[in-house]
Amino acid sequence: MHPFIVIFKHEIFSLFISSSTYIASFYFLTLIGVGFHFFLESFAYTDWILPPLSSLVIGLFFGAPALVPFLTMRSFAEERKLGTLETLLTTPIDYGVLVLGKWSACFFFFTKICALAFIYPLILLYLYPDQGFNLGFSSVHYWFGCSLYLLLYGASFTAIGVFASVMTKNQMVAGMLSFTLITLYISLMALSSSAKHSIAINTKPIYQFLEQSLAPFTNGFDKLEQFSVGFIDLSTIFHQIIFTMFVLILSSIQLNRLNK
Amino acid sequence: MKSDIKPLPIVEVLNLKKKYGNIKALKGISFSIGKGEIVGFLGPNGAGKSTTLRILSGLINADSGEAKVCGVDLAEEEGLVKHHIGYLPENNPLPEDLRVIEYLNFRSRLKGLRGSRLKERTKIVLEICDLERKVSERKIGNLSKGFKQRVGIADALLAEPRLVILDEPTIGLDPHQSAITRKMMERLKGEITFLISSHILSEVEACCDRMIILSHGQIVAEGTLHDLQKTFVDKTIFEIVTKGNKIEVQRKIREIDITCELILDDLVDVNGKRRFSFSTLNGEKSAEKIIRHLFNAKELNVSEFHISRPDLETIFLRATKKNWEEKTLIE
Repeated sequence: MHPFIVIFKHEIFSLFISSSTYIASFYFLTLIGVGFHFFLESFAYTDWILPPLSSLVIGLFFGAPALVPFLTMRSFAEERKLGTLETLLTTPIDYGVLVLGKWSACFFFFTKICALAFIYPLILLYLYPDQGFNLGFSSVHYWFGCSLYLLLYGASFTAIGVFASVMTKNQMVAGMLSFTLITLYISLMALSSSAKHSIAINTKPIYQFLEQSLAPFTNGFDKLEQFSVGFIDLSTIFHQIIFTMFVLILSSIQLNRLNK
Repeated sequence: MKSDIKPLPIVEVLNLKKKYGNIKALKGISFSIGKGEIVGFLGPNGAGKSTTLRILSGLINADSGEAKVCGVDLAEEEGLVKHHIGYLPENNPLPEDLRVIEYLNFRSRLKGLRGSRLKERTKIVLEICDLERKVSERKIGNLSKGFKQRVGIADALLAEPRLVILDEPTIGLDPHQSAITRKMMERLKGEITFLISSHILSEVEACCDRMIILSHGQIVAEGTLHDLQKTFVDKTIFEIVTKGNKIEVQRKIREIDITCELILDDLVDVNGKRRFSFSTLNGEKSAEKIIRHLFNAKELNVSEFHISRPDLETIFLRATKKNWEEKTLIE
């Protein structure tokens, strides 16, 4: 068995037996469910132009800063605090494989929670097929676009969480750092989106350069509009994979630096 | 005909140096360990023991120098070296939520064991460390310190390593558990090379073939207990219990060895028996000559004779004394 699979399975097992995972999942899914319920109740009175399924995606997207730290904070911080990271590193395992294995497990759990949240529209579709159909819950391309969007941003959020966990021995600090970094990332996307839609355009070359270089990574909100209706933007997929890989490489460099 | 070709040492360290900021943890140490040896790594706190062990186990890099394990250079083939090493870190950190068998299976897989070999090795180490039956099914968090230590040692032995590094393996264990650990090492002696760091000198004295004493990043003594006794203790001390008086005894002793000095004169019982302690610069052979001479002198009525050999603690204190004093003066 490849060390990656060994680490992945072990981490999944650790997350399954951890009470914090269940508590976080329960509260998160409850809040998402309540939010989704109220959204659907008031949907008819709003000027929401996207498919209703996107509201669930937005809920999961903005809820990620609260959920992801619960999944990622223990991955390295706890191992460092207990000292088990040292024993782990005496085995013939590569730092990169270790980071990848732990991140994959966190990402798997994030995906699992998103999948559970998607059960709400499915229940609605099963119980009230006509209303469900009218709300677009039976459109496969909506489902595909929304799921892919969540997977892409979930990957980068969990990578940020793992990075925060590598940075400290304290789980609470790792959790708070993870929350701050993900919130900062989302805020950057919000700022970028509002700047794009504002009339005043900064003409200074440095701002234009920054805007052009960072745009692929900070245009998440705009891309939601495309993904939620089933348009798959390949550049977003590409950029999110690059961003996730970059953060994971940073994590493994930091891990290597800590032990050398 | 006995072959003169020496087998390849399992550990070869040459001029190893390591700095933490401005502090020199290792100031160029060199040593080698042969196959099947049990070597004790001794030294006061901050001597550089754990740093050396961490370098040898591939956890940290040395700043300069060479370290080879099983002929493989650590700086070049760190991953390969890790296949040959079993390591028990200080304080033995273990995941409390896992059962013993789950943990060992996880570690086996990480170390590259598969299928039937994994099962076989797990069974063997459970048996060696006496963790079979119910213990293997228990959660690590619920085990006593002694059992946790055995789990750590079982993990170190899993992948049939050629070198097992144990950092403070008996710290916090009761004498019974320490004896079990010692017995386990004796059982594996010859097959596996052990490098043990410990503060419990009696443990090291009891189970190690050879000792390396480190102080402030330098090796201050190296060799078997006998070698160290010869190097660090210049005087042999012996005791006699006799009815003879002090002047008579001293006169008889000086007939054999002029360097003998009386260091203790103590009354043993009401019958007038006294215990005398003498020291000689001429070693144990001289002390043995003296005993024969005293026993032949019937008028002295010698009832007990004892040569006291310095223990490892005495040697340790003497070996590290110079560096310790130098450091204290600087501070």
